[in-house]
Amino acid sequence: MEQAIIIAASAIGASLAIGLAAIGAALGDGVVTSKAIEGMARQPEAKGTILVNMLISVGLIESIPIIAAVIAIVLVFANPFIK
Amino acid sequence: MGHGGGGHEIGGHKLAHFAGLTFNLDTLYMTWLTMAIVIFLAVIATRRAEIVPRGWQAFLEMVVDALLDQIDNNMGPKGRKLAPFIITLFLFLVVGNQLGLVPGFVSPTNDINTTLGLALLVVIIVHVVGMINQGPVRYLKHFFEPYIPFVIINIVEELAKPITLSFRLFGNILAGEILLIILGMLVPYIIPTAWLAFSVFVGVVQAFIFTILTVSYLSNSLKDEHH
Repeated sequence: MEQAIIIAASAIGASLAIGLAAIGAALGDGVVTSKAIEGMARQPEAKGTILVNMLISVGLIESIPIIAAVIAIVLVFANPFIK
Repeated sequence: MGHGGGGHEIGGHKLAHFAGLTFNLDTLYMTWLTMAIVIFLAVIATRRAEIVPRGWQAFLEMVVDALLDQIDNNMGPKGRKLAPFIITLFLFLVVGNQLGLVPGFVSPTNDINTTLGLALLVVIIVHVVGMINQGPVRYLKHFFEPYIPFVIINIVEELAKPITLSFRLFGNILAGEILLIILGMLVPYIIPTAWLAFSVFVGVVQAFIFTILTVSYLSNSLKDEHH
């Protein structure tokens, strides 16, 4: 019975983690990319620099959602609470 | 990581025990394979090198030029001494990230040992280069500026650097590989191929981000004017 509760709670926890991480990553990336495209439209000569900085920012912004995804994966596939 | 969900180990490693320590054998094999591939690629590009490059030499020169551009812009004239390290780091990470997409292979960077080792290497180099460049006393004094309580914030930042560096790369690559396996079990043929193509892009981007962050941290420790 206890194992069933742990498994159910881990499943809910993992889905919450990955769902909120997806919202966070999508919102953050959307803001950065929209500003980057705006900048590129205003000054097409700076396209290369803006693109490089945008990719770096996307990678940085996605680091915490990726860690949340790893936690969700660990909860589903390698759950430390299940004997 | 322990037992898998579909009857096979997802995220498990083949272990070898030696002298009381445990090694992940598949990570070690893949790391050696990555090293061999990087050496091979570099040797192919530089044997019978020509002033006007053609073929593979031209492509690798493009990559090296872009990296040297970033190094010059961020690290100033003293950055050239560290350029071989940065370029090797980038090439190792690019090849390592892509190796897991070949069927039958896994990336060496899907193991937290590899990424944490690289991140610790970067952090140690940043501190040592900073101390060599600015003298240990002045370098340590920077942590206490502008006010003494700022040392707490600075120490937390210094602790966060290797953690985020390693976990970003590890999470991206491991999650990508696990998703590839799961998609292959759920919806074979078309969707895993699309995810595979995206994973190629993610591998290059993550390698680039790791390298650019290294350059940025090093630029911090190489500057020597008072700000």
